[in-house]
Amino acid sequence: MDLSRRGFLQAAALTAAASGLTVACGSGSGSSGTKNGKNLTLWYWGGALSDKVVAEARTHFSSEAKLTVSSIGGDFKQKLTTTLAAGTSVPDITGIKGEDMASFLPNAGRFLDLNDLGFKKISSQYLDWKTKLAQTTDGKQVGFPIDIGPTALFYRADLFAKAGLPTDPDKVAAQAKTWEDYFALGTELKKKVPGTYLVNNISSVFTMTVGQGTQRFIDKNNHFIGDQDHIRTAWTTAVRPYTLGLDARINDNTWNAAIGKSLTTELGAAWHALDIEQAAPGTKGKWRVCAMPGGPANQGGSYLALPKQCRNPEEAFKIISWILSPANDARGFTDAAIFPAAPAAYAMPAMTGPDAFFGGQKIIEVFGPAAKAIPDSYEAPADAAVMAPYMTELTNIEAKGKKPDDAWKDAVSQAKQIARRQGVN
Amino acid sequence: MLSYWRQYLAISPFYLIFIAFSFFPVFYSLYLAFQRWDGMGTMQFVGLQQFRFLWSDPVFWLSIRNTLVIWVLSTVPTLFGALVLATLLHSVRRFKGFYRIALYVPNVTSIVAVAIFFGAVFSNNFGLVNAILGTVGISPVPWLSNPWLIKVVIALLMTWMWTGYNMIIYLAGLQAIPTSIYEAAKMDGAGPVRTFFQITVPIMRPIILFTVIISTINGLQSFSEPQVLFANNAANANLGGPGQAGLTTLLYFYQSAFLNNDYGYGAAIVWAFFVLILVLVAINWRITRGGRKS
Repeated sequence: MDLSRRGFLQAAALTAAASGLTVACGSGSGSSGTKNGKNLTLWYWGGALSDKVVAEARTHFSSEAKLTVSSIGGDFKQKLTTTLAAGTSVPDITGIKGEDMASFLPNAGRFLDLNDLGFKKISSQYLDWKTKLAQTTDGKQVGFPIDIGPTALFYRADLFAKAGLPTDPDKVAAQAKTWEDYFALGTELKKKVPGTYLVNNISSVFTMTVGQGTQRFIDKNNHFIGDQDHIRTAWTTAVRPYTLGLDARINDNTWNAAIGKSLTTELGAAWHALDIEQAAPGTKGKWRVCAMPGGPANQGGSYLALPKQCRNPEEAFKIISWILSPANDARGFTDAAIFPAAPAAYAMPAMTGPDAFFGGQKIIEVFGPAAKAIPDSYEAPADAAVMAPYMTELTNIEAKGKKPDDAWKDAVSQAKQIARRQGVN
Repeated sequence: MLSYWRQYLAISPFYLIFIAFSFFPVFYSLYLAFQRWDGMGTMQFVGLQQFRFLWSDPVFWLSIRNTLVIWVLSTVPTLFGALVLATLLHSVRRFKGFYRIALYVPNVTSIVAVAIFFGAVFSNNFGLVNAILGTVGISPVPWLSNPWLIKVVIALLMTWMWTGYNMIIYLAGLQAIPTSIYEAAKMDGAGPVRTFFQITVPIMRPIILFTVIISTINGLQSFSEPQVLFANNAANANLGGPGQAGLTTLLYFYQSAFLNNDYGYGAAIVWAFFVLILVLVAINWRITRGGRKS
């Protein structure tokens, strides 16, 4: 190619300018920026915090710090991990999803200990079991609890009435106290209202039953315990609705089509109410909530954390403790169905109102006590990875008719292998 | 050489970007395959341990089987269908441009959108296909839970995406064949089917081999299709659908590295897979050479 001198110079100048610009951008937002402590960045994902409360925090603290808020889409954990590993452009405040917290704890050194900044003094305002899940074994507090996901039993009161069953939440809870009671109720329901199912799939039952216990798949001494009685019992419970024919076996994306039609009950966390409402708006007023068989579990719920690179830890901590104060936490429930981790919020008017979707039921009366009764459990960093084969094998039972005993054996051997790979002994 | 420095400088951006974003990561992943690393903490050298795990990991072998089955199920109908469509399109006289665009559109449609669409159409309980089957009295087919049908649906999705792409390449090849050959065949009394198999296919052989190689590369990299069809979330961590029947090797790599924070094992998976692709390329190459000899 023949390049004229002028053309070449122009091209070279443009390239240089472009690369210079990139470099400038790279360092501007990075840690090499001035540590004036006036600029703070906050990363979270859509629905993690109330956007209104965050916007208010910006004006509330505007005289002390300039808070830049980014809503990060896509795989949040992945983006945070990469940024932390790279060590530049790290946010001053970041959200961490509850299910990802365990995998961040081994690298607690990448975060500031919130206890040093004053969390110890206010920690009693937040649910103890939730706070502990974001604590290292030596007591370092990595996460400030945002919300939790206490589970309950959602049910179609109209279909219950049709089957001649009680519809009042207290009575339903009394009749479905244990899992066996619940399945008996489902059998009755199916007889009277044909074509309906009790649960959408057995993996969801397994998730709930495991969550009701104090132990999961790996214990505090880093031993694999996924083959022990507590998991075996959870497994047997999960398989029951399948053998009884109460399992809708929905493992694809058609849950939202089924929810208003063939499902009579649904096991889920507080935030799940919004999913049901959005997927089946036509069933408004027909749903009720009551205590889950066998006691509550937790599903989901997130934290805020301050990475080590935070440019002004004191100010950042002031901001997050303001955003997550019980009063603002309660507003998060109204704005974005975020269930507060601060029990004081449960008595606030924002949360005690009747819910039209649940026929005017005050659902906090179910979720509030559930939130406080969730058992303390230990979640190891590899827990999620080790749990996956159990879920896979449960779908194998549903999809291929695999014998539950064979599925159990395969799940355990597969889980053991993953555990060994992840350094569990 | 030095007197050409301007030219070298002019082409350097590509190479610099390539080194930073392709060359370096490739070899870094090879280094990672011998480490245990959660993405943030300190790396721990474990030698060949990751590969030993891989060798005795039934899920890895399952993913390889899934990938190969899906690849065959999609490549054969894609290439055959593309050739047939290209021949048909070559012979039409009107609306040529319209047909070309219409058949190429699936390839430029977002793969995520297509996968969501297929998920809805083939849904077990509320899908369009089962609804149509229902009207003629056929009971619902478990498209997205039967291990074989899952693969068929994924293969169908890939066929849908890539037939138009290959058709365009074939069409270009067909247009290069002199019409006199077809005229001669017609004079000798050859019908359209015979002309297709005895004239079009042999002359198109090198182009077909090119598309076979391109399809091998695309087909073995299937990832987004099962990823979107069987999306995972906090409540449902199992990837690849019921029984992991749609778990392709790249999806397993993604799951290990990015969901389980097991980057060393993920790197081992892709490098083992790379060796497998080399073997398949070697087979391809032999077939090509064998063809030339005869």
